[in-house]
Amino acid sequence: MRTRLRNLFRAASAGPIVLAALVDFSGAEETDALGRYREEALPVLEGYCFGCHAYGVDEGSVAFDQFEPEASILGSRDLWRRVLRNVRAGIMPPQGEDRPTDEELTALIQWIKADPFGIDFDHPDPGRVTIRRLNRTEYRNTVRDLMGIDFDTEVEFPPDDTGFGFDNIGDVLSVSPLLLEKYLQAADSIVADAVPTVTKAPRQTAARGSYFRDADGEARGDAMSFYEAATVSHTVPVRFDGTYRLIVEAEVDGEFDFDPGRCRVTFAVDGDQRFREEYVWSEGRKIQYEFEEDWSAGDHELSFELKPLLLADKQQKRLNFEVHSVRVVGPMEEEHWGHQKNYKRFFTRDAPPTASAERRDYARELLRSFATRAFRRPVDDATLDRLVSLAAAVYGDPEATFELGIAQAIKAVLASPRFLFRLEEPQQPGDGERYPLVDEFSLASRLSYFFWSTMPDDELIDLAHRGELRKNLDPQVERMLADPRSAALVRNFVGQWLQARDVEHVSIDSLAALGVREEYDELRRDFFRRFRRGGNRNVTNDEQAARTRARFQELRKLSETLTPSLRKAMRQETELLFEHVVREDRSLLDLIDSDYTFLNEELAAHYGIEGVEGEEMRRVDLREDHHRGGVLTHGTILLVTSNPTRTSPVKRGVFVLDNILGMAPPPPPAAVPELEESEQALRGREPTLRQVLDVHREQPLCSSCHSRFDPLGLALENFNALGQWRNAENGKEIDPSGVLITGESFDSVEQMKEVLRTERRLDFYHCLTERLLTYAIGRGLEYYDEHTVDQIVEQLDRHDGRFSTLLSGIVQSAPFQRQRMVDQIQENSD
Amino acid sequence: MSREILRDLRQGTNRRHFLKGIGACIALPALETFLPRSVLAGPVAVATTPQGAPLRMAFVYFPNGAQQDNWFPAGGGKQFVLNKTMQPLEGLKDQIQIIGGLDHINATPGPDGAGDHARANATFLTGVRARKTAGSDIHLGVSIDQVAAEHVGHATRFPSLELSCDAVRKSGGCDSGYSCAYQFNLSWKTPTTPMTPEPNPRLVFERLFGRPAGGGEASIESRRAQRKSILDFILEDSRSLHRELSIKDRQKLDEYLTGVRDIEQRIERAENFENVLRPNIEPPDGIPKNYGEHMNLMFDMLALAFQTDSTRIATLLLAGDGTNRAFPQIEIPEGHHYLTHQRDDDKQAKIAEIDLYYMQHFARFLQKLDATEDVDGNSVLHNSMIVYGCGIADGNRHTHDNLPVILAGAGGGTLETGRYIKAGSQPMTNLYLTMLDRLGVEGVERFGDSTGRLRGV
Repeated sequence: MRTRLRNLFRAASAGPIVLAALVDFSGAEETDALGRYREEALPVLEGYCFGCHAYGVDEGSVAFDQFEPEASILGSRDLWRRVLRNVRAGIMPPQGEDRPTDEELTALIQWIKADPFGIDFDHPDPGRVTIRRLNRTEYRNTVRDLMGIDFDTEVEFPPDDTGFGFDNIGDVLSVSPLLLEKYLQAADSIVADAVPTVTKAPRQTAARGSYFRDADGEARGDAMSFYEAATVSHTVPVRFDGTYRLIVEAEVDGEFDFDPGRCRVTFAVDGDQRFREEYVWSEGRKIQYEFEEDWSAGDHELSFELKPLLLADKQQKRLNFEVHSVRVVGPMEEEHWGHQKNYKRFFTRDAPPTASAERRDYARELLRSFATRAFRRPVDDATLDRLVSLAAAVYGDPEATFELGIAQAIKAVLASPRFLFRLEEPQQPGDGERYPLVDEFSLASRLSYFFWSTMPDDELIDLAHRGELRKNLDPQVERMLADPRSAALVRNFVGQWLQARDVEHVSIDSLAALGVREEYDELRRDFFRRFRRGGNRNVTNDEQAARTRARFQELRKLSETLTPSLRKAMRQETELLFEHVVREDRSLLDLIDSDYTFLNEELAAHYGIEGVEGEEMRRVDLREDHHRGGVLTHGTILLVTSNPTRTSPVKRGVFVLDNILGMAPPPPPAAVPELEESEQALRGREPTLRQVLDVHREQPLCSSCHSRFDPLGLALENFNALGQWRNAENGKEIDPSGVLITGESFDSVEQMKEVLRTERRLDFYHCLTERLLTYAIGRGLEYYDEHTVDQIVEQLDRHDGRFSTLLSGIVQSAPFQRQRMVDQIQENSD
Repeated sequence: MSREILRDLRQGTNRRHFLKGIGACIALPALETFLPRSVLAGPVAVATTPQGAPLRMAFVYFPNGAQQDNWFPAGGGKQFVLNKTMQPLEGLKDQIQIIGGLDHINATPGPDGAGDHARANATFLTGVRARKTAGSDIHLGVSIDQVAAEHVGHATRFPSLELSCDAVRKSGGCDSGYSCAYQFNLSWKTPTTPMTPEPNPRLVFERLFGRPAGGGEASIESRRAQRKSILDFILEDSRSLHRELSIKDRQKLDEYLTGVRDIEQRIERAENFENVLRPNIEPPDGIPKNYGEHMNLMFDMLALAFQTDSTRIATLLLAGDGTNRAFPQIEIPEGHHYLTHQRDDDKQAKIAEIDLYYMQHFARFLQKLDATEDVDGNSVLHNSMIVYGCGIADGNRHTHDNLPVILAGAGGGTLETGRYIKAGSQPMTNLYLTMLDRLGVEGVERFGDSTGRLRGV
């Protein structure tokens, strides 16, 4: 036993897996398993793999005959996972070697899943999902739907850590003391903004600065120059006679540098002056005035008159008087008071009852309803009791209102772990069911956070209450997908899977990318030299100088190619394509290649596609000579896989390999010879990147991986680091041709895409299924998920890659529908 | 003594200096805020200098190693000449120690293969090997600042402060199969809970001194009572929840509970510290676009926290290791990480420029601390121990020995500054133990991969 243990440990790289294996294969069971290994797997291995992985050869440190005792090979799940992936993707056996027949392959794969992985095909292990805390996006959306206000978590909360490429992975979403502090603060400020603390109050309206127009009807109240006389006004209609309070908020907004400007501003109500004040430069002086008005029902005119006190030719910097808003509160007489706008969201009656017992009942009713929505499941009585006591302790104070008490209890709900974490519970398991279904409330949350990144709506919760959600799963999935909230799935999933989010920040030097950085720097130096000599005003006006100037202007414009709006359009292009596939239920292969894309004028111009006008993104049909179609030709991916100054075929190839084909290469060894070194081997020949990489690949250490991804990346070399088409680099024509490690050859990016969408489509289905499943269930995939994924892929292929097949495959899968029992978690710990 | 100090502070020379740095000065801040109360209250054994002033400890991390030709000084001991990257420290030469020969063996590949950047970042303050996982079971160790905070944190309103200048995270995976948690967190409270750093200077300010009170706000006492009633509720709530959860999930809930207890303690402590007044300065806006300004603001917040004795323990991650940030503001359009793997002279010079850029900001911070008078008449810098360093030495080869490390400040006179020390080859964690000693933390014999104390600092 001792030896055996040791061998087992040597055989596998991860300890806990071995222990599990020991449990699985003991005694007679082990003999059976070994028998099946010899019968089902060994012949295939011997026939096709042993040439390089046995008999004293251990390519890639894999030798199948080095396990002692032989049975220890069964426990080596990591090894089998590699075998499975390489064989399934056709990477092994390598091109040129004998290949197993389809039947042999299927047998091997089935055996790997059944024996070393121990997958029960009818009842696969659903795995363990650590309770997930809401991430920043989910928190914000949940607060929006629950409280009716927007709380900007991008600013208020620190970024979430990510795992497996996504920011919704339970294990990684930790709760540091800082975050908890933020949650408490957030609860305070959200409740202060959202929950009314009085039954009724004077009504309020606000006129923003931009509502104020001048005589020509131009809206300019929000920016009035100190140097331009102007009168702007706005009319407020009121329905009742009464006392009204006006609150004027404005600002003197100057730049950092001093400006001598002065002006006088007069504010008038119905032509009667209310204040007149002189203002001078300030970087941001806030101004606030309050007035009480006796108004009769009807229209009332508010106006600001600005009179400059310094002539416009003295102006040095921008200096404005800006009206932020004029709030009108009233009538102040109590009979006109009303509920604040959010009142009905939290309170069901016109006013709280007065008797103490009734108040308590009402509080209980309100808090039960609120907590059920906030916790996404019914609240238990003990918790509800505590919430009611909390509220009563506050509203019991004669100074406090009933509403204030409810607000305090709502704060507690928002700080509770039941709100911040997604707690899940199993249903009562059926007979012989090893892994129970999650209960319907858990399912409702799994669905809503997957599709919408937010809490379940009333319909989902109602169905769960009635125990009818599972029965209605298909129509619900359809409904949820059709709901505008499903934009969150597109945005958050695509934003992270294809890194489309990052295009808005990635740093690219467009001049360097276009190869004109040095020319520009030279011209700029020149320009400043002349400028310093004071000659700029009166340089010789010959043609040469004019040309230089024009060129300088041209380059300067090029340096600003990547405007924020262009980057945004790029992100949207990728999101819209994915959304189109989702909404129209098209084939996922459209993501690889399609004869349409989504553009606006700016992005179309950037791509060199004519005939698209206007800012809005719309579907555009593509011609062959546009060279576009599919995410690989989108600016998003082309940019985020480039270096700041040039393209990176390596990064691009790795990106495609990892995110499209699902075969992330091992990371490079430390201190690899760098590209530049290879470049030196080509001294003086101004090589293209392809030639440099060719040299790099000649080294065996590098070639084993580079031959996997270089061809994929080089096929995209026709796109520069800005995502624009080019035929040549450094004056040399670009050669995008290549051969994939799996043997397919191509001559252009179009052909490469064709290979991906035909011969390699199963790899792509696999990859996308794994990613979307990871995103949906909030954990990384494990060996026991292999069969689940295989099944979805099989269905996908049968249905031409329809998105709906993928989605229902995921929603119906064991990891999405089920969970381990609490006592199973210790047993299968991994 | 304390009266004089109070008066000195009231004169506010150093504070004015500080305010200028922040940008806008409206009026002098309320004074009591700026007084380290524990000092006035009488001698406290921990985190206190021999003169009775607060003793602070901070760790500042810069990414991707240091260009080797320009980092280490010539000479040794007290006779040394600063190299190019450290030129900004010339005026502070006698207040720092440059330490060579410190290693982080647990950042080397070992059995884990690639991922040197993630490991460098993770190991830097923990001395522990990060478990290689993309996110299913992150595991590291408690970081040295948290060990210190555990022992001396009770002396101040905040046990520790964690700051970062990384506000935008890259999507997708991080370094070579390591969870991003390793690359964006320096400080770890437990082996599985990183102390999330705050990147927004405005929020740091508000955390330290409170948000501006809106009209009609309840009094501090009643707000505190309300906060307490909510804490009581969620504590009880968590307790009942605890019983329903699996072990792994309990771990998450425990993280949450730890946070609740921290806040409870803070509330209790706040009662001892009386009212916290908000320095009467304009709080910084959000995160500036310009990276240099962002660093300056975060350094300003750190200086402010030390100066007001809001905390004595802090960490600042200038950028997660492996960052590929470009530096257009100093005309370097290429990415930092990309550059570190280029060997031609031109590119090497650019790496050195980036190193220098980071150093200029660190130097500005030290100058600020140096110009700020502490309660004992010394400078705040004198009463501090500030490590500036990186978990990678040579960014191209990803080495983790002979790390670039500067120890600034005299530790209240307990450190012999103005030297270039060559430590031979010792774990970085030996230095950390030595620093713990200075803080008066007792009973920590080993930390991470330590083999003893770093002698002669």
